[in-house]
Amino acid sequence: MDCRVINKRRHTGLQQLSSFAETGRTFLGPVKSSKFIIDEECHESVLISSAVRLLESLDLTSAVGQLLSEAIQAQNKTYRTGTSTLLFLVGAWSSAAEECLHLGVPISLIVSVMSEGLNSCIEEVESLQVPVHSVYDHIDSTETFSGLSVSLDPSLHIPSGTGLVQKEHDLKDVASQSLAFCRLSGRPVKSPQLFRLQARFEADENTSQTPQTLKNNLLADTCCRKSVLTHSRHFSRTDRHQWISKPGELLEQLSAAAPKTYRCSDLAELEVGLSHGDPSSMRLVAEAVRLQHQNAGMRRGGHTVLFPFDISRIFTCCLPGLPDSLSCVCPGYITVLSMSSATLIKELQNQPVRVVLVEGDLTENYRHLGFNKPTNIKTVSESVKVQQDSSEELWTDHVLQVLIKFNVNLVLARGNVSEGLAEKCTDSKRLVIGSVPESVLQAFAEASGAVQVAYITHMNENCVGSGVSVTTWRSVTSDTVDGISRMTVVLKTEGINLVTVVLTSPVTAQMQTKEDRFWTCASRLYYALKEQKVFPGGGAVELLCLTHLQSLAGQSVNKGNQDCSGWLHNTSSWLASSAALYRPTVLKSLADGWHRYLSTLLRNTAVYSSDSEAATSIQCHLQNAADSGSPSSYILNEYSKLNSVILNSGISDKLEPIPRVYDVVTPKIEAWRRALDLVLLVLQTDSEIITGLAHTQKSSQESEGFLFL
Amino acid sequence: MSRLEAKKPSICRREPLTGERAGARLAALRGLLTSCYGPAGRLKQLHNGRGGPVAATSHSAALLAGLPVSHPVLKVLTAAVRNHVACFSDGGLFTAILCCNLVENVQRLGLTPTTVIRLNKHLLSLCTRYLKSEVCACRIPVDFGSTQILLSLVRSILTSKPACMLIAKEIDHISTLILKAFLLTIPENAQEHIILGKSIIVPLKGQRVIDSAVLPGILIEVSEVQLMKILPIKKSDSFKVAVFCVSLSGDLSDTGEGTLLVSYGVSLENAALDQLFNLGKQLVSDHVDLVLCQKVIHPSLKQFLRTHQIIAVDRIGVSLMEPLSKVTGTQPIGSLGSISPSSYGTVKDLCIAKFGCKHFFHLIPNKATVCSLLLCNRNDTAWDELKLTCQTALHALQLTVKEPYVLLGGGCTETHLVAYIRHKTRNEPESVLRDERCSQTELQLITEAFCSALESLAGSLEHDGGEVLTDGKYGHFWSVQANLPSAVNWPDLPSRCGCGLYSSQEELSWSFLRSARHPFRPQTCLSHEAKGSANTLTLDCFTAKLSGLQVAVETASLILDLSCVIEDTN
Repeated sequence: MDCRVINKRRHTGLQQLSSFAETGRTFLGPVKSSKFIIDEECHESVLISSAVRLLESLDLTSAVGQLLSEAIQAQNKTYRTGTSTLLFLVGAWSSAAEECLHLGVPISLIVSVMSEGLNSCIEEVESLQVPVHSVYDHIDSTETFSGLSVSLDPSLHIPSGTGLVQKEHDLKDVASQSLAFCRLSGRPVKSPQLFRLQARFEADENTSQTPQTLKNNLLADTCCRKSVLTHSRHFSRTDRHQWISKPGELLEQLSAAAPKTYRCSDLAELEVGLSHGDPSSMRLVAEAVRLQHQNAGMRRGGHTVLFPFDISRIFTCCLPGLPDSLSCVCPGYITVLSMSSATLIKELQNQPVRVVLVEGDLTENYRHLGFNKPTNIKTVSESVKVQQDSSEELWTDHVLQVLIKFNVNLVLARGNVSEGLAEKCTDSKRLVIGSVPESVLQAFAEASGAVQVAYITHMNENCVGSGVSVTTWRSVTSDTVDGISRMTVVLKTEGINLVTVVLTSPVTAQMQTKEDRFWTCASRLYYALKEQKVFPGGGAVELLCLTHLQSLAGQSVNKGNQDCSGWLHNTSSWLASSAALYRPTVLKSLADGWHRYLSTLLRNTAVYSSDSEAATSIQCHLQNAADSGSPSSYILNEYSKLNSVILNSGISDKLEPIPRVYDVVTPKIEAWRRALDLVLLVLQTDSEIITGLAHTQKSSQESEGFLFL
Repeated sequence: MSRLEAKKPSICRREPLTGERAGARLAALRGLLTSCYGPAGRLKQLHNGRGGPVAATSHSAALLAGLPVSHPVLKVLTAAVRNHVACFSDGGLFTAILCCNLVENVQRLGLTPTTVIRLNKHLLSLCTRYLKSEVCACRIPVDFGSTQILLSLVRSILTSKPACMLIAKEIDHISTLILKAFLLTIPENAQEHIILGKSIIVPLKGQRVIDSAVLPGILIEVSEVQLMKILPIKKSDSFKVAVFCVSLSGDLSDTGEGTLLVSYGVSLENAALDQLFNLGKQLVSDHVDLVLCQKVIHPSLKQFLRTHQIIAVDRIGVSLMEPLSKVTGTQPIGSLGSISPSSYGTVKDLCIAKFGCKHFFHLIPNKATVCSLLLCNRNDTAWDELKLTCQTALHALQLTVKEPYVLLGGGCTETHLVAYIRHKTRNEPESVLRDERCSQTELQLITEAFCSALESLAGSLEHDGGEVLTDGKYGHFWSVQANLPSAVNWPDLPSRCGCGLYSSQEELSWSFLRSARHPFRPQTCLSHEAKGSANTLTLDCFTAKLSGLQVAVETASLILDLSCVIEDTN
């Protein structure tokens, strides 16, 4: 295929970009193939499945590589999602820009027309946005994430068996009030939907919810029932399926050019749509949202109108070596301790504990940041007394006295904890936990009334929090790393705004990936809820961009002139007047980038086995969209047909009906902008300047192509 | 054992400019800077080649700071330009390119340096006198009653740096913000001497440019932990503020050299802390509401203050101290001893603001000329460039208040000046020849060198292979496509001149920029109708450009005058 003559016009920076981006091609779309990266020197290997981790593991010492890495990191830091899209589009558009160079388009025009084109696309796709409204109205129904896809399909074969019924009973036994809220939802208790929900847990999730964890969750839930009841009047389940079940009406709406009537008002539906082929992570996110919602309801006495989903109050606890099915979500803070504190925890169980939060290390020589310890001070004793205790011991005793004085049984420290102190505390039935994340301390400070202190010896009664409960979560018998047996404990207080997501994986190498995937799902849901809008996913947005660019390229008159990037729109340069000549070429190249994106998406989801098949399908849709007169209506219409292949390639599970796929708005658009910005930045660069004295060491051969000043 | 080595003799090189090496290096530098010039300029990736951060820039300040220059001639040049940029922010590339052009052009002539310098000086004064005169047709007086010209000036500066990666909408947004930020620094009731305030640029990287904002007062970044301790703020009309520039961290400052002996049981740390608590008690009894510290406050003191409903914010940093003392109307406290009541200041209001993922403590002053420009851009590289550009624009606005004129940009000032100088030296050479004691030929040669330096400077705005024309009426800059087919009536092609002031409807006799043409008298005195259409003009900062012109000519003279370089090789 690629047998173009290497031309002098080729831009090495752009070539580097496209070759870097090529490595991340398989990460696009819901079906991600993992990669092993092997270090040939020390034979270490990492398993990765995201663009961020890929770039972390690659050797990107070149300037362009660093800019790419910077762009990906910035996207990841701000949005935690969209990096694979960013990486792919960088590749696609750098090839596009290179193609334009090859065709002799002036650089300034490529820059201006491309950013104009993308900007126009971004404005165009606004019409596809699906508003997200009052999703929390249905949150209190027991139907969790996986429920929707089941309820949508009447023909799903439910695996029958007594186990399911048993489970149902289990549920009722544990929380007898569950009957109450099931009735509130307007359905009989043993409605097929609830039944299927259980079926899903049993059949599809590989018994991920063992009776025990389910029980735990329900126990935790029982205290929140009240808030459930206050929302019962919102339980109108009719509007939810409105635009799914009435295609005729939908078409009418479309022809009336009112696509805004599409809305997503069901949290479960949103979660399915945003899971992007990772239902297990999204299930955890969904549970975390529900827990937070219940907590919020409790804290504000049932008024949860303005409940924001707060991902900063979600904490992940990774337990490698345990089977996947043990992953779960619990309120409070879960952490791993050594078995030696088992007896202590048993004693602390069953009673509310007073807590102190330490914002730094808990050691004798810890000083707050910005304190300079003088090194030239010596202590001398004036009289010869009995051997004095060391200052460390004195300090330990002092701390213990303070803890005893304020009757504190739990100390959470942000930093390290002195071993001697920890031992002495254990002896006097006090639990000290170090390396606690800041958000956790914050949550405990809010919920228990404690104030974080820097020095435990300076604290007073006001700093002590109360009402913390300490319980064993489960003992992790053998750790795969060092074989030491450990245990996990749950710390929580009433109404604490903190949710721990326990992630387990039998393969230690997969832990990182699992954690990343969880956070990606969480961020997607976070942005969807925060912005109250989503895009239809599965390529719908990109297809519209492609259609739009093609129609723009066809227009001879430069109508979107004022959207031009930077300076060209009000410049008097000849470029402005000759832009019309090159515009179709540049826009076509930009559109080719979208085309590559779509066909890779289709290939990756295994809908099509070859590029040509994918291309045919895209071409067909493009033609139809163009013929329909209103591409956005056509795409929304296609999108609403659940069995449409191109637009709903999101979920590969063929047994199920394909639920709607959604995507986040701002992170996606920002990823596009970042990708194009990077390409254009590199395109406009004509030389590298190496600062410092590094160049003096270059041999004469190396320095070829260098200029010295 | 130390070893003494005889010092090596210094190396003296005569005529540093004549060598081939110097010529090549000067040409390389010129090529580098020329390729960055203007809105279509190319970018440079600056990095240390060993995995350090990469900056993509076309800003002279960033370029020259990172450029490893070894030749003495280039060192003189870059140092002069950096000085200019430090004083005026704008016009660095203009100065550097013009200087290179002048040196190269004049050197080719082979005239004696004294003549060259004298004549260059004369031509320079011709330019500056014209630019400062009322008849000058390439400058526009600024009407502060409207924002049009000022906005155009800011927009021209922003568009000249493509590495900011802004689209038109974002340029409009940022231009408005910069102007707003500038206006907030002007005191309300101006007396004879206006003292402008300060706009502080607050970084917020990773966010969309469109999320940038301007707020009156000062934004102090605080961590979330600190924030939780600050809340809640009581309602009040004014808050009493104590600002410390001394560290309140409780460490023992300056124990000196040698060893300090302390008897057992005495804790210096506790003594220092006691002193801090005494200070705290005084603050409480003086009813202070807010304590701000440049450095660190001891957590126990913070805790003490908090229990007495005093808000304490530390780690403010040295850069915010001056605006802080301006806002609160007080001098920072520099000692831990007793505080005189006069050292407290006030602020009107306090609040907590969240932008992106950062939390800020927002101090709103009673009436002070300090504001915060919260600047967002997608990534570090683009943010750095945008920050530099915004600083340049703010500085240009300040300079414009001092001298309320702007120059036409887009190459028009340069081509117009060239037309004026050519006309002047051709038609009225007598006075020059008499004053400067030189021959007619010498004057013609130097004038040609000077003019062609300015012309090639204007021509370097073109990076995509276009052609540049000038007209025979105004002497403005017109850009056209290269290799135009002869069949086309090409004088009709350019729609507007470089600065956007004139359109091509009138009968203008165009000629190529660097082609020989008969000198003509460019139309002086800007017509009023032209001033009216200022909303789409490309403009340059008057003061910065004038100074750039002077620096360029004087530096070129200095370089041409170098007769030998003495290098200490030890």
